[in-house]
Amino acid sequence: MPAQGPRISSRAPGARFIDPAALARIDNLELVARTVVDGFMSGLHRSPHLGLSLDFADQRPYMPGDDIRRIDWRLYARTDRYYVKQYEADTNANFLVALDASASMGYAGAGAGVSKLDYARCLAATLVWFASRQHDRVGLSAFADELIEQVPPGARNVDAVLHALDRLRPARSGRLGPALARLADGVRRRGIVAVISDLYEPPEAVVEAVAPLRGRGGDVIVFHVLDPAEIDFPFQDELTLEDLESGARMPLLPERARARYRERIQAHVAELARRLGDERIDYTLMRTDVPLDQALFALLAARERLQRVR
Amino acid sequence: MPLAFLAPAFLLGLAALAVPVLLHLVQRERKRVVPFPSLMFLERLPYRSVRRRRLRHLALLLLRCLALVLLAAAFARPLLLRSAAAPRLAGGAREVVLLLDRSYSMGYAGRWAAARAAASRVLSGLAPGDHVSLVVFDAGAALAVPPTTDAAPVRAVLDTLRVGWQRTRYAPALKLAADILGASRLERREAVLISDFQKIGRDAADPVRLPPGARLTPLQVGAGPAPNVSVTGVTFRREPVPGAERVTATARLTNAGAAPVRDLAVTLQLDGRDVETRRVTLAPSAATVVTFAPVILAHPDTRGSVRVAPDALPADDAYRFVLAPGQALPVLVLDGGSGGRSLYLERALSFSEPPGFRVSRQELARFRAADLEGAAVVVLDDAPFPGGEAGRRLRDWVARGGGLLVLLGDASRPDGIPGIPASAIGPSTDAGGPDGLALGRLEYGHPILEPFAAPGAGTFADARFYRRRPIAPGDSGAVLARFEDGVAALVERRYARGRVLLWGSSFDAGWSDFPLKPVFLPFVQQLVRYASAWTPAPVAATVGQVIDPTVARQPIDARTDGAPNGSGARAAGGADLPAGRGDLTVIAPSGARTRLSPGAGAPALALGEAGFYELRDGDARPARVIAANPDLAESDLSALDPQELAAAVTTPAATARPALEPDLTPAERDARQRVWWYLLAGAFALFATETFVSNRLSRGGGVEA
Repeated sequence: MPAQGPRISSRAPGARFIDPAALARIDNLELVARTVVDGFMSGLHRSPHLGLSLDFADQRPYMPGDDIRRIDWRLYARTDRYYVKQYEADTNANFLVALDASASMGYAGAGAGVSKLDYARCLAATLVWFASRQHDRVGLSAFADELIEQVPPGARNVDAVLHALDRLRPARSGRLGPALARLADGVRRRGIVAVISDLYEPPEAVVEAVAPLRGRGGDVIVFHVLDPAEIDFPFQDELTLEDLESGARMPLLPERARARYRERIQAHVAELARRLGDERIDYTLMRTDVPLDQALFALLAARERLQRVR
Repeated sequence: MPLAFLAPAFLLGLAALAVPVLLHLVQRERKRVVPFPSLMFLERLPYRSVRRRRLRHLALLLLRCLALVLLAAAFARPLLLRSAAAPRLAGGAREVVLLLDRSYSMGYAGRWAAARAAASRVLSGLAPGDHVSLVVFDAGAALAVPPTTDAAPVRAVLDTLRVGWQRTRYAPALKLAADILGASRLERREAVLISDFQKIGRDAADPVRLPPGARLTPLQVGAGPAPNVSVTGVTFRREPVPGAERVTATARLTNAGAAPVRDLAVTLQLDGRDVETRRVTLAPSAATVVTFAPVILAHPDTRGSVRVAPDALPADDAYRFVLAPGQALPVLVLDGGSGGRSLYLERALSFSEPPGFRVSRQELARFRAADLEGAAVVVLDDAPFPGGEAGRRLRDWVARGGGLLVLLGDASRPDGIPGIPASAIGPSTDAGGPDGLALGRLEYGHPILEPFAAPGAGTFADARFYRRRPIAPGDSGAVLARFEDGVAALVERRYARGRVLLWGSSFDAGWSDFPLKPVFLPFVQQLVRYASAWTPAPVAATVGQVIDPTVARQPIDARTDGAPNGSGARAAGGADLPAGRGDLTVIAPSGARTRLSPGAGAPALALGEAGFYELRDGDARPARVIAANPDLAESDLSALDPQELAAAVTTPAATARPALEPDLTPAERDARQRVWWYLLAGAFALFATETFVSNRLSRGGGVEA
């Protein structure tokens, strides 16, 4: 289940963390990530240091095909039956951020004050820092219509990821399918893949592109980053909208187009949440005027689910 | 209170109004391109350009425009006028003069009905208290209904009006309207001109202006192309035949339309019978002539016409005329009995185009008063003026309008010639030695010599005169020609209503070679025609023409009243018509009868209809017929711009203002010019408001930046 429903709302009341626009003005992504993560962790009621190492969990009867190395010989000695030890999941999971750096991510509405890419950059850095604090191997794949930047998961790749994030500039048109398909081919271990994108593709195409990332039992979290202007469509006067990726122009009267646009974008979000939920993929809508801790909650929930896998 | 401007040129600043409007429109178009991540959730809705130009911030635009208007008005220095005309501009009852064109062009298909409908609409639009009068006009104007507050009599007259036969002239109608409006004391005054506004109706030499404050409202009927075929005239070539005259008629047709007229039937009618029909094709905007086969005229007053098939304007589709066989001019030559001296004169008068001359010769010794009967001119050829009773009758005859041509020779005596003192004529002398004298100076402006004024029309310089009777008329006559030594050769003298011409030499080859010169023949004929005061009878008159019905048009030699030819024409002055004439009865083409009494002043007859007028001298005398045709200038249906005419007759306000503006003290003048201060203050206030509002709007619209 997703950690947060596809609710489209304005700025959350009582936000505890620093405003995304303020974070975006900090050049150092590490500092941004630390600020967010430390603030997030100081407010948690549970310790984040869960199930480190190879903690014993349970036994179960031996089944043909089980690795005989995992037979609990002591229990066999007491009961004369074969039992296999079961342990908590491996905490050194891969955490990979797939970040959309297409031209549309460069959009910054007047209300948020930060572009979607900057917000996504902060979000990715925060997630990576948080994961590294969990001793996970962290990596980054930035893509537009294909992969444009890649840092493979590694225990010491935090700096590399942060540098790669720093270099990203919005360019080219975005297509999830080719880039994520290539990324999915490289997923060898179970882990968590966080996809950060504005998802301007039909929901079925998104699901089709994202689902292979689950690979061998991994978990996928989709962060749908949208500017408030993309949700509320607050324009007043007649204007001509220019597509940031294709350059196509469309003259329109906002007051006539607003209701229909809002209806369609909400339907798109709802359909994404439904379809991804059906695929057991977490979906979180991130407005660029909302603090980043929501994303950490989502990551935490995913990690907990991963650790419960037996 | 009317408003004027001291510096109206600043009103050009109103053109600046276009700036904020364009800015609102153009800037909207150009800067509002907003980048957006994706258009996939947007539909291309119908987007009309009208909506695109919808004025945003209308209040702001109005503020800006109003501020500019006030600013321009302030700089133009408005001036408040308090004038006598001011109340008239404010409202109140109207004085309306309805001017209705009834010229025959209004008979063009549909125009008259449209004009009456327009007049009816004007009457329906009158408010209680408005005065209305009706003026109908064509070449003249008549007040059909004087100013009244009741439209009913105007409607009643409108129902009885018909299209006339005359041409259009606006000036008489406008003058009448100006008189009515000028006399009115109502506040608003207006003339409504209902017409087809033909160009030919405007007379630039006769400008008319309505009184200040009055305006002219033109209501045009029948605008647009108006194809029309008209018969513009008929000419005749006459040839004498024994006992009659052969006449060949040639008609001229015009087509004013843009399309050709094919297979048009053109018919010659004589005395009501179709004599011949020809078919022609008329090119667009072109004219052509149709010549009919010759016809023989045997009796006077033959009524004829050339007609084409009726078109949209039937009034000009026929040209009427009256023909009569040749009317030879009777000339009585009195000579001293020598016979041969008059040979050249008689020969010169025998060769002439019809109607020609009928010459009779009489020896002076046998001359009787009865010989004057039917004569138009008496030529005294080298003979003394007759004495006794015959001489007295001849003198009286001349006094009543007869023509006397005296050719001075050896036998001529200076005494007795009417109006010429005996001392004015000298004895016969040789002139200029063996080479003789030529004619030195001729008054080519005189009707006798006018035909010879043109180059090649005949020269008098070749003629040599060897003997002469010098004439010294003094103040008793006008010298029309002189010999080259300055002595008068041709002298004219008016004697009562008659004309006396003296020629200072003879018309034989003994005294000069003038009779042998080519110019002799036309000169002699001119002399005789002028002496008789003869003018060719026109075959037709024009509607609107005023004629003297007593002018004789019968053959001169058919007259039996003993009066010399031309006496009727001169009697038009009204003094003494020939004895025995009674009242004239005029029967118009419509059948209306009018009785003209010669004793009641000039019995003028105004031709108001097209057709044949029949004049009866009493009831027993034979009829005289006059053909009347409409003025063909009216056939030109090209129209002028009604607004141009309205502007030309309306007195501009600037012209009227000085008369309306009384003398003012400086304080009063300053008070009336103070308006501009308020306008300027208002403009600045609006600009300040505009600044405030636009700033608010700019901040409010930041979400779209």
